[in-house]
Amino acid sequence: MAVETVPPEHAAEGAGAFVRSDGKEKVTGSGRYTADLTLTGQAYAKFRYAGHPHARIVRIDVSKARALPGVVAVVTQDDLPDVRFGGLVQDRTLFAKDVVRFEGEIVAGVAALSEAAATEAARLIDVEYEPLPAVSDFVAAMDTGAPRIHPDLASYEKDENVVADGNTMAYSTIVKGDADAGMAEADVVVKGRYVSDASQGVPIEPRAVVAQWRGDEVTIWSSTQVPYAARAGVAQTLQVPEANVRIVVPLLGGGFGAKCDLHFEAQVAALARDAKRPVKLVFSRREEFVAIAQRREGIVMEFETGVTRDGRLVARQATLILDKGAYCGEGGFLGQMAAMHACGPYVIENIRVEASLNYTNNQPSGSVRAPTAPQVCWGLEQHMDEVARAIDMDPVELRRRTLIEQGAEGPTRQVFDEIGMKQTLERAVEMIGYGRDLPDDEAIGVAVGWWPSAAAPSGAYIHINGDGSGTIVTGAQENGSGAVMAMPMFVAEELGMDPGDFTILYQDTAAANWDMGSSGSQTTFNSGRAVLGAAADVREQLLDAAAEELEADREDLELVDGGVRVKGSPDRSVTIGALAEAGTIHGKGSGDVPDAPAGDTGGCVGRFGNETFLAPQLITQAAHVKVDRATGVVRVLKVVAAHDSGRILNRSGADGQVTGGVVMGVGLALSEGTQLDDEGRQRNPALLDYKLVTCADAPEIEVDWIQIPAKDAGPRGSKGVGEPPQVPTAAAVANAIAEVIGSQVQHLPMTPERVWSAARERGSEEVEA
Amino acid sequence: MRSFTSAATLEEAIAALGAGARPVAGGTDLVVGSRQGKAPLPDAIVAIDRIGALRALDGSDGEALRLGALVTHEAIVASEIVRSRFTALADASAIVGSHATRANGTIGGNVMNASPAMDTGGPLLCFEATATLRSHEGERTVPLDELWTGPGSTVATPGELLVAIGLSASVPGTGSAYVRLEYRRHMEIAVVGATAVVTIDQGSVVDARIAITALAPTIRRVAEAERALVGTDAGADAIAGAAGAAAAGSAPITDVRASVDYRTAMAEVVARRAIEAALARAGGADVAIPASDALYGDPGALR
Repeated sequence: MAVETVPPEHAAEGAGAFVRSDGKEKVTGSGRYTADLTLTGQAYAKFRYAGHPHARIVRIDVSKARALPGVVAVVTQDDLPDVRFGGLVQDRTLFAKDVVRFEGEIVAGVAALSEAAATEAARLIDVEYEPLPAVSDFVAAMDTGAPRIHPDLASYEKDENVVADGNTMAYSTIVKGDADAGMAEADVVVKGRYVSDASQGVPIEPRAVVAQWRGDEVTIWSSTQVPYAARAGVAQTLQVPEANVRIVVPLLGGGFGAKCDLHFEAQVAALARDAKRPVKLVFSRREEFVAIAQRREGIVMEFETGVTRDGRLVARQATLILDKGAYCGEGGFLGQMAAMHACGPYVIENIRVEASLNYTNNQPSGSVRAPTAPQVCWGLEQHMDEVARAIDMDPVELRRRTLIEQGAEGPTRQVFDEIGMKQTLERAVEMIGYGRDLPDDEAIGVAVGWWPSAAAPSGAYIHINGDGSGTIVTGAQENGSGAVMAMPMFVAEELGMDPGDFTILYQDTAAANWDMGSSGSQTTFNSGRAVLGAAADVREQLLDAAAEELEADREDLELVDGGVRVKGSPDRSVTIGALAEAGTIHGKGSGDVPDAPAGDTGGCVGRFGNETFLAPQLITQAAHVKVDRATGVVRVLKVVAAHDSGRILNRSGADGQVTGGVVMGVGLALSEGTQLDDEGRQRNPALLDYKLVTCADAPEIEVDWIQIPAKDAGPRGSKGVGEPPQVPTAAAVANAIAEVIGSQVQHLPMTPERVWSAARERGSEEVEA
Repeated sequence: MRSFTSAATLEEAIAALGAGARPVAGGTDLVVGSRQGKAPLPDAIVAIDRIGALRALDGSDGEALRLGALVTHEAIVASEIVRSRFTALADASAIVGSHATRANGTIGGNVMNASPAMDTGGPLLCFEATATLRSHEGERTVPLDELWTGPGSTVATPGELLVAIGLSASVPGTGSAYVRLEYRRHMEIAVVGATAVVTIDQGSVVDARIAITALAPTIRRVAEAERALVGTDAGADAIAGAAGAAAAGSAPITDVRASVDYRTAMAEVVARRAIEAALARAGGADVAIPASDALYGDPGALR
């Protein structure tokens, strides 16, 4: 795994341009993903899905499936420990128990010697259902008398901060001052209502899991973003020690959050144990849409803002209703996160935001890249443009006057350190040429957003080998962003070595310490800190060894060019290989986990750790769009992104995250939406009708960074990078569309038909006037 | 027992079909469809992609055009004959699927897949195309509007192989265009499409053929729309009348892709744009291929 340097003419600006070690195998197709694994004697897994959005299971008869030649295992919940799992609320079993609550719920699993036999066996399982009334409308789910999705919710194990009621799984509020009094003081009060459809992460690689037991120990190869969470989930649901579960992730073909949480590792392990053979599961694209418990949630949001004529935000009220779907999973915090985004990175004097995260019979929601932020930002930033119009102020000027800055107070009275929010605004409007003349079917929209950095423990080891090469052992998970691939660069800088001297052992829970995995934009922030800690440990050991070897004072030594030498006497040196020959140079590190910033959350309910934002990442994006009024087709011509993510340690990687996030944001803006029937069945679970944007649709993208080293945050003054690029893109596109057609599109995604309808309604209003 | 054979000659392919095999050329429908669970792969498959004779694209000025069944969409787009005289077919072929689809997918496979949303269908109908089918019993030629009997079905018998598509000669003064409503630039399926082929003589429309795509159970020509244009000076009123007639001739449905209201409104918009582009080309104007691009502000487009 050699690291090659990029010739200077191709290198991005600044340090850190390099060819990542997993790049060549991914690009050439020689890389091996989970679905490429084949073990001797392996059987093939298939699941039997509910099909019903809500039904009582009267009877499951697996006898015909068991009798089919080639079938080696059939498993239902009756064969497994009676354990419920979930994050904040433990509400789900591995296979359905008594009741199915969404169409993709797994009722049974089979393993057979051929894929065809497994498919047939799954079909042969005879399940008798008593249909129950389904609740797909997540607003109506709150009605008195609405059918209950989890009638036993009160008796489930749950986090002590969960406030549950009826179908509302978690209720959260943010309260600051007196919003009613603030509204009364306002010159103008503006209201707006926005609705976002659910959408999907859609990694190119559908999920795959291979499980193999050896005695009481199981090794599971899985396409997961979070191997340690998967390990914990398997241990909990199968009631085995974590030490007996090893999760290995081969190359991961994308995740975008959709591969967070426990996903199918335990069911496949149960099948493999029953079959006494390795068992392999590979999802179809349809399963990747329907069966996963991890999509971006639908949200209905209502905003009300009181503002003075000179642009002071005196009050904000907002009501957010979110679709949790059938089960909690890791997404219990979504309501609270949405509430923070309903405030946004603004100075607002009085706030009352309520968020209800409601159970329905829809597919479960979970973290997809910056969960809740892009949708709420899309609603809020359109609302902010309305507020600006209402006081006859330019929308950029309103933001200039109201965005947070050093010393300002956030929605929970967090006081911000030095931050670059306002600088991102000025830089973005400069880059896009805000205010210039454009043809009448084109316009520029501007939107701002924010996202927290996530503090979490991590750990790393570095072994220096006798030939002077090194191995980095990290629990971090590479989801494609390159965050893990950049680690040799950081370590080499600390040790005066070359990035190419290092290989990385990663994505194996038996090798490294616990790590949160590829979620929360945390890999460089936390795992990077741990790796640098291990490098510092190695550095100390090398200096000690060299001081003895060279009979020099430690203080006089420096690490340069793969060796340690006495400063000013290059002939007095020793190579790192020579120092490591005895095999005693191995460092470990974790670093100190940053504390959450202080705030006053006294009036707030449902606090799950997002009530203040550690090292907030601050973003302004501006979009230049062209709208074909006759058809509603929108082309995004250019997006500029100015971000404060603290110090940037790997410029090409960071730029890549923004480019990808913006393209994903354009999809969210214009075409990506899961459509449901009245009972919650997906109507477009395929790539023909769930429309991702293609490379040909990608706009010109320009990126710049406001680099203010963040205090008490990530290594070397860094913050997170990966999720923010997704946050304001749809909002910027929406504001540009509204500028062209003269009315807002209040339903996300803003499909051609919705844009056309909004333009037409506006047209008829003008005729009436 | 599954079998896969690769025919070196047309005779071998016909023999394999006679024995019950199904043909595969580019595989862009057959293989993808089986992966999606639309239809399992046939038990016996004969690959016809090595038969060089089916790759020919024959035609010269003033004559009919003959497209071998294996001519790819990419080859059609690259053909100067098609671009200059059957431009609507170049428009359509240029926007089928992705680069990969167009490089692998063949006109023969496209025609025999008989999708009511196929992009090349409208242009082929307007150019009064015929299909030449061959079996061990001989050869017959069928007009495309008779070949297609419904979504995914044709009059071809299992033993027959489509060997060529014939297009009648185009008359001087003719311009044509195919326009599709596009939600995204690649990998798109027609939600609304329209084809116009118009011939102008001394400022007046002497012939007009207008077809609508994905707006009815099959791709169809709309006689009322054609009549609304013929004999006129191709002015704005005539174009609007023809576009309105095209929309009136549609029978759209509401589904996951669009509502009836939107489809009906778009039928008129897209038909109007196809007619305008065809008229512009008939008048010698250079409208970039594919014409759909011209609608969305791409370089070199009409405004």
